[in-house]
Amino acid sequence: MRKSILAGVGLLALSVLPAAQAAAQTGTAWLHVRVEEAKEASRVAVNLPMGVVEAVLKASPEMIEKHGKIHLGEEHGLKMADLRKIWKELAAVGDAELVTVESEDENVKVMRKGDLVQVFVDNKAKPGKDGKPVKGGEEVRVEVPVSLVDAFLSGEGEEGNIEAAVAELQKRRGDIVRVKDDDSNVRIWIDEQNTQSPAGK
Amino acid sequence: MTKLAIILGVPIALLATIASLGVVVVDVREGGPDGNRIVVPVPLVFAQAALAVAPAVAPADKMRIPDEALEHVGLAREVLEALAAAPDGELVRVEERDELVVITKEGRSLRVRVSGERENVSVNVPLHLALQALPDEHGRIHTAALAGALGGVRFTDLVEVQDGNDHVRVWVW
Repeated sequence: MRKSILAGVGLLALSVLPAAQAAAQTGTAWLHVRVEEAKEASRVAVNLPMGVVEAVLKASPEMIEKHGKIHLGEEHGLKMADLRKIWKELAAVGDAELVTVESEDENVKVMRKGDLVQVFVDNKAKPGKDGKPVKGGEEVRVEVPVSLVDAFLSGEGEEGNIEAAVAELQKRRGDIVRVKDDDSNVRIWIDEQNTQSPAGK
Repeated sequence: MTKLAIILGVPIALLATIASLGVVVVDVREGGPDGNRIVVPVPLVFAQAALAVAPAVAPADKMRIPDEALEHVGLAREVLEALAAAPDGELVRVEERDELVVITKEGRSLRVRVSGERENVSVNVPLHLALQALPDEHGRIHTAALAGALGGVRFTDLVEVQDGNDHVRVWVW
């Protein structure tokens, strides 16, 4: 009798579990930002539906113009036309290590791998007088889909097309940015969960 | 007997009518053995009437927002509209040693909860009310539209504050 009750409860739990998981799956893309600071014992989690991100980007007056275009211009050091030209050349190259900087303090790598542009920055830990590290290193991992850059550069003149870029982001799932140093951890990613479940850590 | 029925019936019917139109209830409970309890029910229709006549009695400059705030109204409207259309979920969670802040979107409302060692605050912001509270492109606040939107927040807890043994709750019935 007890066994049948346990089996019944087990079956009930199994039937409820997928429903509980499905409750968090919204079918729409959510942008997640997670910042953890060990020293401050603080954790900040932001979850925004991409529709809201799009609304913010579209309506932010200082940075973006009315029609979802972003100006780069010469004041930012690089003309948009040059940027488009460089990007076109890079697209033709295919998978490659585009930039490698190795120095005493940090290593930087920019590479194209499949449909991603990966930027890795490793700041090395600084040793103290006794040789022990006084400040931990920092790791930055940024993954930008090629299609996102394509979409951003699809604007005309000195404008980047933020609307097209957001539309591309809507399709993206997975990590975009990860920054890790000795006392903080930042992660930005997109999925279809409306919360940051432990599994998504 | 008929007189008594009329004397009692008219105010009861009046109260029932007012109650059926909605009541904002402010409930303050002080902690401790000598703590008082104050309950102030304000008929929603009074608040709506006050909002509706506000433009007629208030100076014009008091019915519009400062120019420097005007440029952010568009962003606020876009965000509120996008939030209203978005699925429910936890938007922000800030966990610190002695405080937790959680902002969630639940149905047509934004719920802000702040939990500390001593106090807990819960604020419910109905999104359509927030949208109606936003001024137009000229910075003018339309209190009549806000008054109309108030009717849609019935049966909603607006604010709840627990500070030690003191408790304040504002809800619309």
